[in-house]
Amino acid sequence: MASIAMDKPGATVLLMGNEAVARGAIEAGIGVAAAYPGSPTSEVLPTIASVAKEMNIHAEWSVNEKVAAEVAGAASFAGIRSLCIMKQNGANVAADFIVNANMTGIGEAGMVIFISDDPGGMTSNNEEDSRTITKWFDNPLLEASNAQEAKDMIQWAYEVSEAVNLMVFVRGVTRLSYTKGNVVLGELPEKREKKAHFPDLWDMYNPKKSKFTSGPFPVFHKPLHEKLEKAREIFETSTFNRYVGPEHPEVLIITCGACTSYSIEAVEELKAGDRVGVLRLGTTWPLPEKLVAKHLGTTKKVFFVEEMDPFVERSVMELAANLLPATCDLTFYGKRSGHLTPYNEQSTNLVINALMDILGITYQGRDVTYDREAKEAVTLVPSRPINMCAGCPHRATFWAIKRALKLDGRDGLVTGDIGCYSMAFAGPGFFQARTMHAMGSGAGVANGLGSLRQFGFDQPVLAVTGDSTFYHAVMPALVNGVYNNSNFILLILDNSATAMTGFQPHPGTGQLATGDPAPVVDMEAICRGMGAHVEVCDPFDLGETTETLLRMMKEDSGARVIIMRHMCQLVKVKRKIPSKYKMRVDPERCLGDTCGCDRLCTRIFGCPGLMWDTETGKAAIDEALCVGCGLCADICPADAIIREEVI
Amino acid sequence: MSNNGKGAKALFEEVINQGLCTGCGACVTTCPYMVAYGGRIVVLDKCTIEEGDCYKHCPRTYTDMNAMSEKIFGVPYGDDEVGHAEDIFMARSKDTEIKEKAQDGGTVTTLLALALEEGIINAVVSTKMDEDKVARGHVARSREELLQCAGSSYEASFALEAYRAIPKESTEKLAVVGVGCEVEALSKIKIYTPKNSANPENIKLTVGLICGWALRPDSFHPYLKELCDPSQAVKFDIPHTPHYTFDVYTKTETKSVSLDDIRPYINSACQYCWDMTAEFSDISVGSAGSKFPGWNTVIIRTNVGADLMEAAKKRGVLETQALPEQRLAHLKTVALKRKKTALKNIVEKTGNKKDLLYVGGLPEGIADKLLED
Repeated sequence: MASIAMDKPGATVLLMGNEAVARGAIEAGIGVAAAYPGSPTSEVLPTIASVAKEMNIHAEWSVNEKVAAEVAGAASFAGIRSLCIMKQNGANVAADFIVNANMTGIGEAGMVIFISDDPGGMTSNNEEDSRTITKWFDNPLLEASNAQEAKDMIQWAYEVSEAVNLMVFVRGVTRLSYTKGNVVLGELPEKREKKAHFPDLWDMYNPKKSKFTSGPFPVFHKPLHEKLEKAREIFETSTFNRYVGPEHPEVLIITCGACTSYSIEAVEELKAGDRVGVLRLGTTWPLPEKLVAKHLGTTKKVFFVEEMDPFVERSVMELAANLLPATCDLTFYGKRSGHLTPYNEQSTNLVINALMDILGITYQGRDVTYDREAKEAVTLVPSRPINMCAGCPHRATFWAIKRALKLDGRDGLVTGDIGCYSMAFAGPGFFQARTMHAMGSGAGVANGLGSLRQFGFDQPVLAVTGDSTFYHAVMPALVNGVYNNSNFILLILDNSATAMTGFQPHPGTGQLATGDPAPVVDMEAICRGMGAHVEVCDPFDLGETTETLLRMMKEDSGARVIIMRHMCQLVKVKRKIPSKYKMRVDPERCLGDTCGCDRLCTRIFGCPGLMWDTETGKAAIDEALCVGCGLCADICPADAIIREEVI
Repeated sequence: MSNNGKGAKALFEEVINQGLCTGCGACVTTCPYMVAYGGRIVVLDKCTIEEGDCYKHCPRTYTDMNAMSEKIFGVPYGDDEVGHAEDIFMARSKDTEIKEKAQDGGTVTTLLALALEEGIINAVVSTKMDEDKVARGHVARSREELLQCAGSSYEASFALEAYRAIPKESTEKLAVVGVGCEVEALSKIKIYTPKNSANPENIKLTVGLICGWALRPDSFHPYLKELCDPSQAVKFDIPHTPHYTFDVYTKTETKSVSLDDIRPYINSACQYCWDMTAEFSDISVGSAGSKFPGWNTVIIRTNVGADLMEAAKKRGVLETQALPEQRLAHLKTVALKRKKTALKNIVEKTGNKKDLLYVGGLPEGIADKLLED
């Protein structure tokens, strides 16, 4: 589409779920949007940023989700509607602010947090269900099931937020965020000037009118629960909760979010519309109990279909327990019964399989040969294991790390972190990363290992972090290391991008979310200012990098930093920086799979720009993928890979 | 038993992890999977080659003594205590510059300098100590460079690394200097031509160094650093008198430590060493002992060795004298004792008199006889 801010109410456009969320926020008249990049939500903020000027919106990439929530919260305090966007684990980072902001309440203007979970962990290293933490926060929660609903729900969420004076969460999943669907556009807000002003209110005994300072006063907590009850009342009549099916269904499916479509499709596919009803909840916390109780009274069998945790399942079972004995002959199906799993993504197939068992019917959806043929077809597709890109500087860094750790010989290790370099746990990074947890945990865990000297711990510890992760969560860990004299080396893999999530700018790139120039926050100066010894290497100088690592590992003296600086190859492509070299393989020199090589370049080094020619038994350059970085020439033991300068 | 059909995995299982690696350096340099670093062989990645040069050339994998002897001397391997010998005598350099730098009599440096000068060879594969006195393989191509290689560090030096680094295309005529294990590896290289290094046919001269044992650099060097600043050391020596000290000479002083303090750093592989006198060389050279300070014992083994010695005498750069009977007898006794000790230790390790590891390739009867004694 031309612009997310197109002024054509009633027009139908094809939007990705993330774009629909952006449009919903724009229609709701937000003035501030703040986010930290995280798949599957990374497109929301740039979509808003693309029209930030014309719509008078402040759109920013914040350094982390907590700061993003605080930036959005402040806007709300000052009377400006705001949107905060994060992936599932972002909620953990933002948790402390949100819990306390729920005590003070927000301002006159609503604040919505769009959070998207990742069932199946397609772009995550966990499968956290953010709904559980939202419930723990005490925030109202909505779940959208398609792009249209995402837009509409975001808009409505502001009304709820302002009605109950709390942040409202709208939860998506990968399938919602990345699926495109038709969206009928609504009206854009009137172009009136948004005036921000921090209110000067003070009424000790009226939390709604208090300053935004949370305290240990029961006076703050009681109203929070009253607000939730109010939200529940609003949800009871919400049109986002809908029922389709017979008046007295044999089986009642209670579903939400992306699973709504799976449930409806499954019922249709089984032609069981006369036996099965689908209650789809758009408001999943607090549970609209009256509505649900009414539906529980119409059936004997309840089947819960939802992504990941049995969240709605537990809420409804808790309600059913409260409603005893009226609910005593209900049977529940779902995660607890084993009909679905609380891990991996759900699908229409999985719902059909479960319904077959519950209804006692059989169903053959496809030709009996389908599965066999599908399996055969898969073998025709070449396997594409995860890999870093051709020319990726991380490959150079981990090549040097591997060599340095082996030469050092003290079983030194790498504590990994979140980014493209997470792949270091596997072949692309030569299996070097031995821990990987949250953003910044590489440095944090290194702090701990580096403090075990008194227990005889003598393994060198290298913590890796990306440049964006450095600003996000590593800085406190480095301060901690310097302060507590922990013994580790922090390697900042500075590739000038938040590459993993799609090249969003960050404080080190000199660019804002809107594309406007920004001051460069100098990570080298930050580290020096923290008191760490800092060196800078170009990982493409493998020898020098290895030597630096070896030397610094030998020093064993507190928290130190090496900045591995080399631009992400994809950023180079985006900036149209031409290739340095044209690579070729001299087949006469190539030792192939014989002694002295054993396919080092294609078997171990593994740059996708290199190919193994099974016919000639020699390495070759895949000219479609090779970016001419020249690194493979340095690792070839036979000097058979030749770089020719591009004139 | 054969040493074909095995690669890096077997090398580690059978040699390196068994404490048998002598640190000769024959397996590294052209291999991207193994490197010599800090006095040990380091594996960088897993090699899947089933039949590798690393295993073939290792002096501690099965060694066909007859094949090596036939190749070098044209006769089967015999039972001489000091190996195949044409002549044994004493020699010392008459070159004052060399004498000043030499460990003992300067014979090795003098012969090699002459060979370079005469064009018999263009390059010498030897060892050179760096600033910190860590010895590594080195190729000297001039008298000046050769003089920098003089002196012993007493540490295993991975000397053959330097040979393996000489490219396949090289036409340089080479001399190689090394102790017994290194010369054994070199002899295996002569039998099993390496794929990716200089052609062994280019090796025109092999000078063996008579060796008692070598220290493990990875453990000894840190000890040495505690003892002194290695960069200030000018010479290391085990003097014949009083014969139980290890001395480090710096420009200003001499640090002397008991040999007993040094022994823990001796390479464990040395206890299985069969070959004190570097038997597969053209000439072997060692110290002549306490009664003849500044003299070398020389064993001439081939015509190449004999011719070079003749030329040196003719040019007046070396002087010689006969080795007294008593001294010769002593040399043979010590060399024989070494063989017996090696066999005893090997049998102790394998627990089987028939499993003699690398010396399993001795001609029949030799080992049995020594084991009986």
